[in-house]
Amino acid sequence: MNLPLPSIFVLLIFPGGLFLIASGLIYQWADRKLVARFQNRIGPRFIQPLADTLKLLAKEEITPVGVHKGLFFALPVIALAAALTAGLYVPLFGFQPAASFRGDLIIALYALSVLTLAMGLAGANTTSRFSLVGATRTLTQLFSYEAPFLLSLLGPAIAAGTWQISEIHTYAHQNLWLMIAQPIGFVVAMIGLMGKLELPPFDAPEAETEIVAGAMTEYSGRGFALFRLGKDVELVIGLTLVSAFYLGGLANPLEFMLKTLALLLVLALLQTAFARLRIDQTVGLWWRAGALLAVVQLIAIVLGRNLGSIF
Amino acid sequence: MSVGPMISDLLRSLFKQPATELYPFVKTPAPIRLRGKLMWDPTNCTGCQLCVKDCPANAIELIVIDKANKRFIMNYHADHCIYCAQCVVSCRFNCLRLSNEDWELAAAQKQPFVMYYGKEEDIALFMEQAAKAGAEQA
Amino acid sequence: MTADTNKFVIPIGPQHPALKEPANFEFWVDGEIVTGASVRLGYVHRGIEKGAEVRTWTQNLYLMERICGICSHVHATAYTLGVEKLAGVEVPPRANAIRQLMAELERIHSHMLWLGVAAHEGGFDTLFMYSWRDRETVMDLLEKISGNKVHYSANLLGGVKFDITPELATEVHKGLDFLEERNRFYLKVVTTDETFIGRTRDIGTMTTEKAEFLGAIGPTARASGVARDIRVDAPYLTYEQFPVKVMTHTSGDLHGRFIVRIHETFESIRVIREILDHMPQGDLTTRVPRRIPAGEAVSRVEAPRGELLYFIASNGSEKPERVKVRTPSLCNWSTVLSLAIGLKLADMPMLLSGIDPCFSCNDRSISLKRGQQGAQVWSWEKLRQYGIEYYR
Repeated sequence: MNLPLPSIFVLLIFPGGLFLIASGLIYQWADRKLVARFQNRIGPRFIQPLADTLKLLAKEEITPVGVHKGLFFALPVIALAAALTAGLYVPLFGFQPAASFRGDLIIALYALSVLTLAMGLAGANTTSRFSLVGATRTLTQLFSYEAPFLLSLLGPAIAAGTWQISEIHTYAHQNLWLMIAQPIGFVVAMIGLMGKLELPPFDAPEAETEIVAGAMTEYSGRGFALFRLGKDVELVIGLTLVSAFYLGGLANPLEFMLKTLALLLVLALLQTAFARLRIDQTVGLWWRAGALLAVVQLIAIVLGRNLGSIF
Repeated sequence: MSVGPMISDLLRSLFKQPATELYPFVKTPAPIRLRGKLMWDPTNCTGCQLCVKDCPANAIELIVIDKANKRFIMNYHADHCIYCAQCVVSCRFNCLRLSNEDWELAAAQKQPFVMYYGKEEDIALFMEQAAKAGAEQA
Repeated sequence: MTADTNKFVIPIGPQHPALKEPANFEFWVDGEIVTGASVRLGYVHRGIEKGAEVRTWTQNLYLMERICGICSHVHATAYTLGVEKLAGVEVPPRANAIRQLMAELERIHSHMLWLGVAAHEGGFDTLFMYSWRDRETVMDLLEKISGNKVHYSANLLGGVKFDITPELATEVHKGLDFLEERNRFYLKVVTTDETFIGRTRDIGTMTTEKAEFLGAIGPTARASGVARDIRVDAPYLTYEQFPVKVMTHTSGDLHGRFIVRIHETFESIRVIREILDHMPQGDLTTRVPRRIPAGEAVSRVEAPRGELLYFIASNGSEKPERVKVRTPSLCNWSTVLSLAIGLKLADMPMLLSGIDPCFSCNDRSISLKRGQQGAQVWSWEKLRQYGIEYYR
């Protein structure tokens, strides 16, 4: 579906901006509720993420001693801004991407990485031990899952023959679901999404029982709220990308909801089923199994295209 | 070596009721032996004060109105009490028991925690005397 | 442990999400590898030993119970065993059997609690939620028998307060069947889940010699093959009539400690079933005088964490002269400090919880004699003032 709206409106209100933030809160609620139900608990009520955000915005923000004040205030804003920018290029809520040009797959993924980078820098900025260890782990994890995740999103790009998200989306919509045609790539993409979003078992960067809250330990009040909103937006955009490429495209809002929630259900199940991996185990897993599987999938795709053109 | 042996349990939990009890909207009845609030029956009390001596938390105070006629009042501090039931065992005449119905004892002030047990007329007499003593002091 | 100023110190505690009670651990790290460790305890010191000197023997029973919430019954049992030894009374066998039954139920409760907490430290929140949900079953059983979920107050000087009726016995059997089935499932999870094994295997490996050298006790030592268990070495209560088998494991690492504790849970379930089926008949209490004759007694029991030791000295009056408590967690700290070196920072919380620490149990205060000073005896007020000044 196509929405001919002025781009400033898209960026600020709908379907990006405020609407995207609101849907981020809804998806955070869905994720927490599903995880709770898997653990045989009740889980939060619907209004809980909004209540959390409002409470955080109302709290006093404590600036720790020894930080660079400008960076301390700017990094959460940069993080949220980058996440919202990435929303311009993906088919949010089943509508065509608001802005589209050749190579915007790279731009969208880069914007999401800026979010993680901002969090890592925020941790390195403060002098607290826990933040420093958390920042190290965040950046280490960024370097480890980025390559396989990108390769797994490259699979559909090669199949569609383009780097433009809207065109890959059209290709996915018109052909057999890429989940079936490229199963290995789908698995790598899904697990890569968990690494990107720092969901358990890949939540070593913010391991609560080891380093309190990792890179975000010293943040409170507004800064913390903005970081959390950035992560929620990243959740929505990540789900949109993976389901748009692998689950046959998102033609309208109803399909968007069904497909992304189905993917979220599987992610919630995987979140609850495993213990947390140590950071060195995460890196080992990604650089061995993850990269290997992604490369295998790419070779399969390239062979398939060339052999197909022979026949 | 398997990956995710808990998955079958997790999937089943999705379709079961959560294990959380929605207290206070749902209240399951307490077991019979629950050690709740202390209850005193002054009928058989001889004033031996063994319960007072044995209490680890100094929660019981026995006020003597008339020792010869066995008229006593018990001042019970529910906030000091640790609900151990030592007094129940110490009393040789079975005057004390811990209730299993009265256990929701939270209050916002100290006043509800100070309780007086005894016969109606004894308590009335005691209150009169305390009021008179307070008026004399003031 | 000298501090190299180029290295980094990560403080775990006194306030930290990994600890359930305050203590101060300092780990010198180089990147993620730990190069040194030190510990400071004493944040939960409450002056219980001093408080015991101003209370009567009966009142002390409940004070000792509240040293710890998870092992409260064994503290009270150790105290009453010591007092009964001093008074020279023989407790009826039915009372001892009921005490043993409560102690084994408490052991099941403690091990399931520990399983959840250790899983939570490793990031496995699901196992934490599930094992604590199933722990509610054993807590309900304890509530039905004793009237309270924590601090059962089962002991009296000279016996127990309540009896096990046949209806209760049936309920306990039903609960035990459920617990056994769930614990078999948790054993399967702990031994087969790849992510969990990756977090626990070969972490904190302690050979048998090292365990004996460091003085480790309880399941921590039994996981390294040290077959020491007070219930078997020096049987008390009715452990001669209803014996338990000592559960050991050879691997000596964190994984072994999980396995040892779950096996101990099975053993406890088996012993409880045996006690219920062959409960000796008789009275519940025997008379103990108010003034305990002068003397000294030592009583040792097997708490869920290891050997618990009480030294009780009486001077013939209504109040004890001295009650000294040595709790098991105190012996296991040195294992953490020496095993931490060389491991990664992420393993520290799991290593800490692997010894099943109970900080409230082990805070005692010892005053060292320096030079020519004679022994000092402090009053309660002086101890209290010292504690306040110490943290200013």
